[in-house]
Amino acid sequence: MNENEEELEEPDAQSAQATETDAQPENADAVAEQADEQEPVLDEDVMPDDEADLLIPVEEYLAAGVHIGTQQKTKSMERFIHRVRTDGLYVLDVSQTDSRIRTAARFIANYQPEQILVASSRQYGRFPAEKFATAVGARARTGRFIPGTLTNPKYDGYIEPDVVVVTDPIGDAQAVKEAITVGIPVVAMCDSNNTTGNVDLVVPTNNKGRRALSVVYWLLANEVIDNRGGEPTYALEDFEEGM
Amino acid sequence: MSAEQQTKRKCTSCGINIAGLSAASFDCPECGHGLHRCERCRKQSNLYECPDCGFTGP
Repeated sequence: MNENEEELEEPDAQSAQATETDAQPENADAVAEQADEQEPVLDEDVMPDDEADLLIPVEEYLAAGVHIGTQQKTKSMERFIHRVRTDGLYVLDVSQTDSRIRTAARFIANYQPEQILVASSRQYGRFPAEKFATAVGARARTGRFIPGTLTNPKYDGYIEPDVVVVTDPIGDAQAVKEAITVGIPVVAMCDSNNTTGNVDLVVPTNNKGRRALSVVYWLLANEVIDNRGGEPTYALEDFEEGM
Repeated sequence: MSAEQQTKRKCTSCGINIAGLSAASFDCPECGHGLHRCERCRKQSNLYECPDCGFTGP
């Protein structure tokens, strides 16, 4: 096996189904989105320490489905996974998600607002990403990331940010690739099936659900504003489109 | 050790001297200590640990 490759692992109990999902990796999105659209199942066991101090009550994380991973996991995301559910979905450790949101906010707050670029090609991430960019004064590139945005000075939309925030390293592969080319750090929201190659700071979260992305971007925006010494004024509803 | 050698950037993960554009330099998200990651460590997602606060990334 190539040393750069990481194999997606599946829970043993799901081995028969695993073969099918392996053959159709896009199923990971479908399963996670389906889980997101269903009524939230308020699992009780989502982190090792039940007394952890979180930004919002754990019930709100669970209602948004922030903890719901996919039926695949990668070696690099293993340390953010708390357990596997009986239906084969990996459950992310909510306390680590919370702690990484704070860490990422502290990291992003070190940069000039206009030097931050937020990218989201994923449909459900577009509105929260744009809202986040507005809230913190960053620039957003949603939808298709035009090749050359960070690397081609002749392109009209050429920009030179100092840090890039992406919603999904798979969907936003072009943004990550160009950030690597120009040597700027990448902050990425990673689900259990993402590899963290070329990512400098991981925020482990469900990056496929509409509500989960809204909650994470909302918390991140408020924390960034808070770290800059401002007063966070945004409500979760501001980051939710048409819900 | 010459001044030039002292200012060389070393990868926080593997210790190699960094050259080229694809490496990243940034402040530790926890404590602000300067960190460097070489192209290979970024690509292979090798863990880095802040020498000051012990923060482990990515």
